[in-house]
Amino acid sequence: MKPRILIAEPNEDIRSLLELTVRRLGYEAVPAHERTDCRPIDAILLEPACAVGRSVLRRFGDAAPPVVCLSIYPREQGLEPPASVAYLVKPASTAAIADALRSVFGD
Amino acid sequence: MSRLRRAVSLAHRRYFVTFVAVAGMAATWGVMMAFSWSTKLGIVTFAPWVALIGFDLGMVAGAGGVALAITLWLVASNADDVTLDDAQIGVRAVALLMLAIGSALAGLRLRASERAHRGVAALQSALIDATLDGICLSDAEGNILISNRPLRQLVGELGMPSHGSVPERLLAIADSITEPERYRQRMLELAHEAGEASTDEFEVAGTGRVFRGYTRPVPESAGGFAGRVWTLREVTADRELDRMRDAFVATVSHELRTPLTSISGFLEMMQDEEAGLGTSGRQYLEVIRRSTSRLHALVEDLLLVAQIEAKRIELLLAPVDVADLARRSAELVRPAATEKNVTVDVVADHAPELLADGPRLRQVLDNLVSNAVKFTNDGGAVTVSVAGNGDSVVVTVADTGIGIPPDEQGQIFSRFFRASTATQRAIPGTGLGLAISRALVEQHGGTIALTSREGEGTRVTVSLPVT
Repeated sequence: MKPRILIAEPNEDIRSLLELTVRRLGYEAVPAHERTDCRPIDAILLEPACAVGRSVLRRFGDAAPPVVCLSIYPREQGLEPPASVAYLVKPASTAAIADALRSVFGD
Repeated sequence: MSRLRRAVSLAHRRYFVTFVAVAGMAATWGVMMAFSWSTKLGIVTFAPWVALIGFDLGMVAGAGGVALAITLWLVASNADDVTLDDAQIGVRAVALLMLAIGSALAGLRLRASERAHRGVAALQSALIDATLDGICLSDAEGNILISNRPLRQLVGELGMPSHGSVPERLLAIADSITEPERYRQRMLELAHEAGEASTDEFEVAGTGRVFRGYTRPVPESAGGFAGRVWTLREVTADRELDRMRDAFVATVSHELRTPLTSISGFLEMMQDEEAGLGTSGRQYLEVIRRSTSRLHALVEDLLLVAQIEAKRIELLLAPVDVADLARRSAELVRPAATEKNVTVDVVADHAPELLADGPRLRQVLDNLVSNAVKFTNDGGAVTVSVAGNGDSVVVTVADTGIGIPPDEQGQIFSRFFRASTATQRAIPGTGLGLAISRALVEQHGGTIALTSREGEGTRVTVSLPVT
């Protein structure tokens, strides 16, 4: 089964860019507002500096899957959640985003 | 001395001189009558009193004094059975009248000049009181000679003692300043630095109020005065504005990263389909790609400046080969230089390795070398030399470019400042490169200096300590 990646990004253009990147890697892109109780989420691609990002983190709480952060703020800003496994600063290349996601699944 | 001053201040009292003169006149007349000395003393003994009355009260009162003196003298003469003819009386009356008029004129002139003097003093104090800055003038020992109202007010607000020399008063509030040790050190230096002009800024702890103090010696003039002028200005609003501007720049720059992400992301996506584009399409794509990376660099520069201002840059130190960095910077600009027919040479002497933040130092060198190429006309030359002595590594970037006018060289390291030689030629830039370079070099404990001649070229020298 394809790994499911939840995308929490407020900007529509970036969201579609991320969905495209995720799909090209052969994963399934899940919008942030979709109900996730039927099938589990395997990773989250997250902008921590936005309302969507914060609400997703709240929803998952301590049970969050690995999180890849892609933020307009640097790491020093202290927005990185505990479940974070990679922190990229925008505008990161799609190649860098792909690498971060692949490393989550050990590809 | 103080007795003299007391006498002078008594003489300034209204009618005091006239009172003395009338009393003197009465005493003289008393002596005349008591001893029948109207001839022995004569009317001349009344002359000083007439002169004083004229001086103090003016011509009319002076004439009255003359009439009184003549009358008293006639009464005394009558009592002594001395007969006086009209000519005797007339000549003496006229002489006394002349004296009264003369002294009245002298008195008038003195009072006019006093008034003028007071007027100038009032204007001067109105002028210094009307400024926002606190100002005072001290003697060479620091004792305050004159101060304006804003200063007196600030002294009260800052809780400075009302006595003592200026350095002593400044030292007395050291504990209420945010960095008391640095402040104390600086104030002690100030007390001993008689010949220097200096500016210092300090923040009052807990209040957020920032002050800028300026002091300058006043050299001994023809009048023989030597001392210091001290000014104190509140710059809280300026600092607050700086903070707001930096916060604004940081916010905007962070927000710019969002559109940049989609632009550069979709550009990457397009790369796969580039083959399907025509020649013009590929050219347009290349322009977009170049502009995007410029925009990205600009945003990062703005953020770096904001970080530098907020002192949030941390260096990651590791051994660095500066000569290698210089060669890499030169390679980076080589295509642009070749296009302009500008030569770029690197002359590296065996410079020792440094303990430095490689990427940050690389940024400084990239900046200086790309500036050199950018501001050098076709056919020019850029030379980067790296040399080391025991204590430091010196990097020099010299060009044969357009140069910087002498009066602008002092500001060239300020943020957002661009030389007129650059703006007139419409050479693109943000005015951030040198500000960033200086901040990074200084954070490494090094120095950066620039010499330039308009139309001949510019030389930037960076000196970095080895340890």
